[in-house]
Amino acid sequence: MVKAILRPRYVLLALALVLLAVFPYMHNWPFFDGYLSDFRTFQATRFAIWLIILMGLNLLTGYSGQISLGHAAFVTIGAYAAAIMMNEWGTPVFLAVLLAGLITGLIGFLFGIPALRLSGPYLAIATLALVIALPQVLKHDLVDQWTGGVMGISLSSPQVPNGAASNLNIDQWLYYNCMIAAIVMTGVAWSLTRSRLGRAFVALRDSEIGAQQMGIHVSLYKMTAFGISSLYAGVGGALYIYTQSYLGPSTFDINASLTMLVMVVLGGLASIVGSIFAALIMTARIDLTDFIVSLVPFGDKIGIESSRGAIFGLLLILSIIFTPRGVAGSIRHAREANIGGRLRALFTKRERRAREEEAEVLSK
Amino acid sequence: MDEFIQQTATGLSTGSLYAILALSLVLIYRSTGVVNFAQGEMAMFTTFIAWSLWEWGPGFWVAFFLAIVVAGVFGGLIEMIALRPVENGPILNPIIVTLGLFTLINSVALRIWQGEPKAFPSPGIFQGAALSLGPADISRAKIGVLVMSLIIMALIYAFFNYTKLGLAMRGCAQNRTASQLVGIRVGRMLALGWALSAMVGAVAGMMLAPNLFLSPSMMLGVLLFSFAAAVLGGLDSPVGAIVGGLIIGVVQNWAGTYIPNGSSIDITVAFLVIIIILVIRPRGLFGKRVVQRV
Repeated sequence: MVKAILRPRYVLLALALVLLAVFPYMHNWPFFDGYLSDFRTFQATRFAIWLIILMGLNLLTGYSGQISLGHAAFVTIGAYAAAIMMNEWGTPVFLAVLLAGLITGLIGFLFGIPALRLSGPYLAIATLALVIALPQVLKHDLVDQWTGGVMGISLSSPQVPNGAASNLNIDQWLYYNCMIAAIVMTGVAWSLTRSRLGRAFVALRDSEIGAQQMGIHVSLYKMTAFGISSLYAGVGGALYIYTQSYLGPSTFDINASLTMLVMVVLGGLASIVGSIFAALIMTARIDLTDFIVSLVPFGDKIGIESSRGAIFGLLLILSIIFTPRGVAGSIRHAREANIGGRLRALFTKRERRAREEEAEVLSK
Repeated sequence: MDEFIQQTATGLSTGSLYAILALSLVLIYRSTGVVNFAQGEMAMFTTFIAWSLWEWGPGFWVAFFLAIVVAGVFGGLIEMIALRPVENGPILNPIIVTLGLFTLINSVALRIWQGEPKAFPSPGIFQGAALSLGPADISRAKIGVLVMSLIIMALIYAFFNYTKLGLAMRGCAQNRTASQLVGIRVGRMLALGWALSAMVGAVAGMMLAPNLFLSPSMMLGVLLFSFAAAVLGGLDSPVGAIVGGLIIGVVQNWAGTYIPNGSSIDITVAFLVIIIILVIRPRGLFGKRVVQRV
C-alpha cells in the first residue's frame, strides 16, 4: 500500500499540487522574487483557463477523432452566456460559470447533429462556419442590447470577497478560482477517458463501423463528444470573461481557433498530459517568440512584427517534424524505449553483473 | 427583375474570385490528400514575385509566366523540405505544417514587401468598360477570372483523367502503398502535386490581385470562402470548385440585398446554406462517395 502511494507518478502529482497551491505566494520568497511576480500569477491563471479549453478540444479531436476548427465559437458563447447572466440578473459567479458551461454544452451537443454526417475536411469547414458566422450574429440588431454589438460585452471588474480580502490580492483570488476549476475538470477528463465513454470515443475514432459492430451508439456518442467538449469550452470562456471583464465579438476568432488546434497537436492528442503541455505552450508562446526576437536585432517595428510571425511559423513546423506525436507522445516514446532504465543499468553494478551472467547463460 | 439579374451577376463575379483559388485547393487535395491552409499565402507570395518582376520591366506576360515557373519550383521545394517528414505521421500533422507555412510565408512577405497595398497590372484584354449582358453589367476583369477558371478546370480535368501522370498522382493520393507497389515514385508525385497546385495558385493570385490590390493580407478574405467553395463542390471535383464558388458568391450577394439589413448577416446566411447543403450531401455537390472497408 505504502509502496503503491510512493510510486513516482503519485509523488510527482502531489508535488505538482503543492507547487500549484503555493505558486501565487512564491514571488515573496527569496530567490524566486527575481523571476515571479503578480504578473506571473496572472499568466498562471491564463494557463488554467487554457487548460480547461484545450482539454475539451482534446477530448473531441484527440479522443473521438472529430476535427473542430470552430472551437473558439464555443468559448465565445460560454463567455457571453456567463456575462449576460451576471449583467442582467446578477447571477453569482460560480453559478454563472456552471450554467454557461451547461448552455454551451447543450449548444455543442445540438451542433453535433449536422456534424454527424460529416467527417474530415468537410466537418472542419462546417465547424469553421460557426466561428466565422458568430461575430455577425452577436453584432446583429436583434441581440445587441444584450451582447453589446460591435463594442463587445463588459463586466464590472472582479472583487475579492470581503472574508478573504485580507489574505489575497485580486490576482491570487482569480488564480485560485481558475486553478481549482482547472484541476477539477482535469480530474473529470482523466476519469472520463478511462471510463466506458472514453473508450467508446477511441473506438469511434479508430473505426466508426467497427465501433458500431460492438454496439456503440455512434450518433449519440459523437454528439456527446461535441457536447462535453463544448461544455469545457464554455466554462473556459466564462472564466476568461470573469478574469478579463471584457470580450469582443471577434476576440476568439478563426485565428484563435486554429491556434488552439495547433496547440493540442503540439501537446499531444488523446492525452491528459498532452493537454497540460498544450496549455503551457499556449500561455508561453508569445513570451517564447518575443524572447527569440529579442536575441536578434530585427530593426524597425514591421521587422519585429514580421519576424515574430516567421519564428512562430518556423517553430511550429520544426516541432511537428521532430515531435510528430506532440510532447506527450515523445515522453511516452522515451518511456517505452526505457531510456531511463537503460541509463540506470549502465551505472548500476548489480544490474551489470546480472546482465553479464545472463549473457554468459545465453552464450552457453 | 433587372435588379435581380444585376445582383446575380455581381454575385457570380464575386464568386469567380472564390472559384479560382478553390481550384488550386482541389488540385492539391486530389494529388496529395492534404488540405492546404497555406495555399492562399503561397499564391500571394508568388503574385508579389510577379509584381517585382513586372516592376523590373519585361512586360506583363513575361512576368506572368516567369512567376508561374518560380511558383512551381517553390511548391515542389516546400513539399520536399516541410511536408516530406510528416507525410507518414498522424493525419493532422500535414495540416499543422500548412498552418505553420501560412504564418511563415505571410510574415516573410510582410518583411520583404511591407504592408501597404500595391496596384497589380492587369493585361489589356481585361481592361476597359464593363460588358453588358442583357440588363446586367459585369467588369471585364471578373469575366477574365471566370474564363481563366474554366480553362484551368478543363486542364485539371483532362490531366487527371486522360494522362498517365495524372492517374498516377490520383493513385498516390488514394493509396500510397498500392501506388508504390505498382512502381509509382510516390515522393516525386507528391512534390509534383505541390508544384502544380502552387502554379495554379500563382495564376489565381495574379488574376485576383488586380481586383483586390496586392498586399500580404490580400488572401485572408478570399481563402475561407475558397475553402468553403471547394468543400461545397466536393474537395476532389474541379467542376465543383467553380460551381461552389459561384453559389457562395451569389447567395452572399442575394442575402446582402434581399434580407432587411442584410449586409450585416450575409456571411452567416452563406455559411448556413453551406452547412445545409453539406448535411444533404456530405461529400459536397460533385464529390465522390467513399466506400469504407473495416
